[in-house]
Amino acid sequence: MDVALSKNGARLLRGFFALVVLFLYAPIVILLIFSFNKSAVPSFPLSGFTLKWYREFLSNSDLKGALETSAIVAALSSTGAVALGVLASLALTRRRFRGKSAVSALLLSPLVIPYVVFGVSLLLLFHTLGVPRSLLTIVIGHIVISVPYTILVLVPRLDQVDVAFEEAAADLGAGPLQTFRLVTFPLILPAIVSAFLIAFTTSFDEYAVASFVVGSRVTFPIYLYSALRFPTQLPQVIAVAVVVLVLSLAVVVAAELGRRVAERRLEAKA
Amino acid sequence: MAVTEAGSVARARARRRFRLPLATTGLLSLPLVWLGIFFLAPIAIVAAYSFNVYSLYPGAHGFTLSAWHDFLHGGVYLRLFWKSVKVSLIVSVIVVALAYPLAYYLALSGTKRKYVLLLLLIAPFLTSYLLRVLAWKVILGNQGVINSFLFWTGLRSPDHPISQLLYSRFAVMLVLAYIWLPFVALPIFVSLESLDRSLLEAASDLGASRRWAFLRVTLPLSLPGIFAGFLFVFIPTLGEFVTPSLVGGASGYLYGNQIVDLFGAGFPDWETGSVLSIFLLVVVAALTVVFSRFLRTGQVAAR
Repeated sequence: MDVALSKNGARLLRGFFALVVLFLYAPIVILLIFSFNKSAVPSFPLSGFTLKWYREFLSNSDLKGALETSAIVAALSSTGAVALGVLASLALTRRRFRGKSAVSALLLSPLVIPYVVFGVSLLLLFHTLGVPRSLLTIVIGHIVISVPYTILVLVPRLDQVDVAFEEAAADLGAGPLQTFRLVTFPLILPAIVSAFLIAFTTSFDEYAVASFVVGSRVTFPIYLYSALRFPTQLPQVIAVAVVVLVLSLAVVVAAELGRRVAERRLEAKA
Repeated sequence: MAVTEAGSVARARARRRFRLPLATTGLLSLPLVWLGIFFLAPIAIVAAYSFNVYSLYPGAHGFTLSAWHDFLHGGVYLRLFWKSVKVSLIVSVIVVALAYPLAYYLALSGTKRKYVLLLLLIAPFLTSYLLRVLAWKVILGNQGVINSFLFWTGLRSPDHPISQLLYSRFAVMLVLAYIWLPFVALPIFVSLESLDRSLLEAASDLGASRRWAFLRVTLPLSLPGIFAGFLFVFIPTLGEFVTPSLVGGASGYLYGNQIVDLFGAGFPDWETGSVLSIFLLVVVAALTVVFSRFLRTGQVAAR
């Protein structure tokens, strides 16, 4: 006898699970269907198949500009966040110092700050300093909110890596930088890559903080938000939505598969 | 094995500390300076603003509690805050209640594909937030997918769409629940996954029914996961303004929207806005501290 679930209980839960998955994916499937629908208003009955909306969005320079801006912001902020995250994670895992728990609490605290409060705070800071709002101000904000995510990915990996390797390198005369470059970095590379991906997607999708510090060049979420409030370009936006959703689902699956392959290889080596 | 490992770690740390006394400072200075300037200082400015110690415009500069007094006694903003608390609370409870059976199924039914199914469940959370809100806007509108489907099939006359679907408090709660559901299943799954099954076998050997074993063993031991999941939804939705402004209309207007508007283009009042911001921050910080204590004791109790 199974102690956790009866046969009927398992069947019931499986059905419930399927229902919830249906609920989670139905909106995405509905967008997919209407992205190919001829009518400019997404409603029933369906009025025939078209690729018009995809073509239109491909020739929409505002939209493409916003996507490009977001790519730049995400690339810069994820690079910055990973750099700061690696430094902080090395200190947290490889050094002993007083006030460590306070330091790690501070480093992780951007996780729980309401984004509306952080956005407002940054806005006041830049006003105070007289810094004009631009791509850079968004990058600065995104680095702050991404750093904790990179630390959460990097610290467990650094804990896994046997310090003996670093010790050996040091014993053989490598300096700290050389030890990091030749030993630690290659060993934590998978975690660095996933930290980078998490920071990149966080930034690429971030609206709340960016909305307070955005300059004249808008990012993709800001463009989307205004398109959502004034839905004249709705069908095009739906087409973009489908492309972005499908791409990000593909990346999620690819990342998971990659992680498994890497893990298996690590196990095989050990 | 564990002992020698811990020993070698300690030795390595001792040696390194001896060799590089400046390394800790070197590693930590950049991240801490960054957070100091772009995270702590901005919050300090907002706090100073709320007490009128600091203002960007020429005006009364000097410590006063008047904005705080108005906030705490005026009623309007506090009522809005309680409305937000209510909405977040309802959403969090519903989402945890829905996510629990999902996590239970994945962790304890013995299904072979549990990690594939877990990924299937979580994947939507990893896609764009705004686009998932967009999907619901398309679905719920007066001319949207649900209503137009009802007109088309003749179940409802086009003159009388179900108009409460969009721009309502219901829409805000539905969309927030939709967005956070996959994420909440994760901590609950982790806590159930680490549950020692022999405890359940022991309970069953001692004559406990499945229901009794669940109530006395599984549920208490998964409480840390439940609380973590609850917190994961409650905290971010408490200050939420994006979803309410897109699907909430007037009745879905929440505390976060008020903060945005106080700093917005219409009738800005940065002093009051700062008070609202700091108040929200203090509430969230207090919740985090209290709950994380609870989570830690929960984990200790589970051992």
